[in-house]
Amino acid sequence: MKRLVFCILFYLLASSIAQARSTGCKEGNCDNGYGKWVYTDKTTYEGEWVATKKHGQGTETWPNGYIYKGEFKESQWNGIGILFFPDGSTYEGEWANGFMNGEGTFTWSDGKQKKGIWKNGSLQE
Amino acid sequence: MEVSKNRFKTLSEPVKQFGGLVGIIILIFLTFFVLNNIFGEGDELVAKMKIEEERIAEERKLNKLISSLPSGVLVSFDGTDNFKLSDELYEAVCKATKLIPQRAIMGANFLNFRAHEIYTINGNKIDETFVKWDDEKNKCFAGFVVSGNNVGVDETVKVSGEALSFLSTGIDTRVYFIKNF
Repeated sequence: MKRLVFCILFYLLASSIAQARSTGCKEGNCDNGYGKWVYTDKTTYEGEWVATKKHGQGTETWPNGYIYKGEFKESQWNGIGILFFPDGSTYEGEWANGFMNGEGTFTWSDGKQKKGIWKNGSLQE
Repeated sequence: MEVSKNRFKTLSEPVKQFGGLVGIIILIFLTFFVLNNIFGEGDELVAKMKIEEERIAEERKLNKLISSLPSGVLVSFDGTDNFKLSDELYEAVCKATKLIPQRAIMGANFLNFRAHEIYTINGNKIDETFVKWDDEKNKCFAGFVVSGNNVGVDETVKVSGEALSFLSTGIDTRVYFIKNF
């Protein structure tokens, strides 16, 4: 019984160490400078950091296929950037507070496009 | 009455025993008949059991199929690095999938700011998720419902769209991309 408890505890410890080693700042400087951060769900950010926040140019890749390339401000998608959706659709244009805000073009995977002023992810008619 | 009694007494022992056995069997049948009428659901229960058996058999078949799929991202569109699902597999995976992870929800929220607001205000809480196969459209639809208080107003928002990609973990499958645009 003691052996079983020991094995379980050892397994939990080993898996948490392995998890901790696979996440966090993997390359470069993730405080101030250029670095790559890996999150527990395998989302990655590679780009510029200022005071431990994503700030400047960078690329955020989600495990389910969303990729944002562009400007970050205070760890949010902010400025000019392009978002690639998993099916190949894209939005290229202005971002604010992590949403499509400003001028931008949405291109569907079949090539259809919608261009205009966006507010919080919606195209303003 | 007296005559019947005398006649019974004149019967041989094996015949008496056989008669007793038949009597007990009839009594048992009658007892069960009465109990079934009082407590039993008869045909309805049998029908329910059949449906349940069919469901279990279908679930086993789907689980076997899921475990045979490669681990990783499964897509229903032309993806370069991912496993492309055939029409048949797409339907089967859709029917076997129940989970929608956080990134898929966050992705769908890009096109629904109200849902995003409620989702974040309420600590990423989801009221309900669903994954359904639409027989008419031959497509898989997935979505979620968020509700909560947003600037003093109780709101409920339902987000749904086509489920176009899934994650196969080897144990189960999860919706990975909801196309709601």
